[in-house]
Amino acid sequence: MSANTQPNALQGKLGSLLLLVASLVFLASLGYGVVQLATQGHTSFNTSSTLPWGQPIATYLYFALASSGLGLIASLPLVFGFKQYYPIAKRCIFLAFIVLISGMAVLALELGNVFRMLWAIPLNLQIQSAMFWMGVFYALDLLFLLWKFSKLQNGEWDSKTSKQVGIASFIGVLLASGNLALIFGMMSMRPFWFDALLPIYFYFTGVTSGVAALVFFVYLAYGFQRERMPRALQSLLTGALPKLFAALIGGTLLFIAARAITGLYSNNPEISLVWTDYLFASPLYNLSLIVGLLVPFALMLGAQWRSRMDIQVLVACLVFLGLFAERFYFVVGGQVVPLFQGTWVPNLISYTPSATEWALTIAGWSLFFVLYLLGEKFLDLGDMPKQLADSPQAAAQPAGT
Amino acid sequence: MAKWGMVIDLDKCTGCQACTTACSMENNTLPGESWQDVLFYHEGEYPSAQMKWLPRPCMQCENPSCVHVCPTRATYKDPDAGGIVFVDWNKCIGCKYCMIACPYGVRFYADEKPLIEPDVREAFPGENGQLWSPPYQNPEEDWRRGIGIQPPGVVSKCTFCYHKVKHAPEGVADLDEDNPAVKEYVPACVRTCAPKARYFGDLDNPESQVNQLIGDKHGVRLKDHTGNRPQVYYLGAGAAVPAFTPADRENDA
Repeated sequence: MSANTQPNALQGKLGSLLLLVASLVFLASLGYGVVQLATQGHTSFNTSSTLPWGQPIATYLYFALASSGLGLIASLPLVFGFKQYYPIAKRCIFLAFIVLISGMAVLALELGNVFRMLWAIPLNLQIQSAMFWMGVFYALDLLFLLWKFSKLQNGEWDSKTSKQVGIASFIGVLLASGNLALIFGMMSMRPFWFDALLPIYFYFTGVTSGVAALVFFVYLAYGFQRERMPRALQSLLTGALPKLFAALIGGTLLFIAARAITGLYSNNPEISLVWTDYLFASPLYNLSLIVGLLVPFALMLGAQWRSRMDIQVLVACLVFLGLFAERFYFVVGGQVVPLFQGTWVPNLISYTPSATEWALTIAGWSLFFVLYLLGEKFLDLGDMPKQLADSPQAAAQPAGT
Repeated sequence: MAKWGMVIDLDKCTGCQACTTACSMENNTLPGESWQDVLFYHEGEYPSAQMKWLPRPCMQCENPSCVHVCPTRATYKDPDAGGIVFVDWNKCIGCKYCMIACPYGVRFYADEKPLIEPDVREAFPGENGQLWSPPYQNPEEDWRRGIGIQPPGVVSKCTFCYHKVKHAPEGVADLDEDNPAVKEYVPACVRTCAPKARYFGDLDNPESQVNQLIGDKHGVRLKDHTGNRPQVYYLGAGAAVPAFTPADRENDA
């Protein structure tokens, strides 16, 4: 461990215990999912030809966007010079990397022929397909995140190469998540998704879920004891970060409100009915909006409250779950209106994830935890530039100074 | 090379679904995997209620959005095969993006819950990489064109019965089941259509019967606003598909 950091709660027995639990959950859920897929194939999913993308896609989307969000937060200090964010930069890069790996693992289990993808996508170069670019950009994103992390691991915070890799990583994140938005946003035949500004929505909500993950995992790393944290990290968690978090939750609510209002106003039943008869008709969706975003926003409005650790952790958990629901309802919402009002599908298409689909989601979450705990154990994720660790006041100064 | 097109006269179609059955037998599709389906609608109220139906094959679009989104070129439009859109089952990764991008809902991922029990796939378990292997099968299997019974984890769709159409003589204007010289090359749904509501021919040939019908009887294309430009045209009343309304609110308007 570097001399720059305080002892980390997860490097001891607590970390090992959590690692054991997370590994067991991961192995159990993955084992169940793989056995189901091997014996029953995708009949073990509740998706269908009328609603082909279900919860595994939503899980991938959620993880991929959380990864992009974390990458964008890391760019605050590493690209834009917001020095007070240095204490979370390395952890952000690491979390961005592992949450993307977890998302990709879930996606791999969702595809019909995953290994075929490895040669069929590069050899056929279908550059018209946003999904081709998703492969390119997320591969680059992963590469740059890993490269940047290795620089930070070597203590190269401000070297020229480190800066350049940081900028490349930032651009990679923008391209990857922006393009992921276009996979949905360019589908004019699916009007609920069709939206030129969907990349902006994805960037913004991705950062919100990224901050939620970050806040939770930072506190977990120090055993939910702020006094164990380095001073610079403490001042970030009582200063700039909760303000940013509050603004992000508020902005996310605004985005959802704007989409809901235009959707409800539209005469097009493929948009308006999704809002009236699917989203707002679902108690779970309303609960996720209220408890997952509105209540957290209200909690974060008060300056006293938002700097409290318990409130921050609670809000992080609620927002993390709330945005998971948001991704789920986004993915499913684009498909619930049948393309033709036929005899065979007289109503909105109903979809509830199957046990196998839940197993894949849980496998993704637990893989994320396992990788995180391994990272905390072995990689000194709380590292920061030496001058900041020595003099936290330097970090508290305004950006760019 | 011809550009194969289909014309469906809704004034003659009786909604008997013989096309659906013929397609399913010809192409060994599973229950629910209806490459050629007939959709039924009703609008209005007694005594002026109307019942409509619409046969729906793959539109083999001129500008197919499913082809644009496929990340592996597994789904492709073959100009050398009359512009038919195929799925190469050796390349399909089962991402199902084409099913999202198709405005017509004519693509199928058969690796899903069975429509009816018992599951016919369990009665005839798959052999040689097939999803299921019934005792009778179309002998002209061609996985590069999505013809035959698919392997698990790929998307399937109507091929305009290319395994039949490809044997048609070069330069033929129409494949008419009443013409003994070409009847064996006519797609199954067209050949079986009892009221002769379906026509199949070369859209690039101005003399073809399909082009004359489109011109004389005001042929329209379904969901033309999507820009996909189907190679399937509809004649007569009933091609206007009513917008979706939930079942419990059908009579509200």
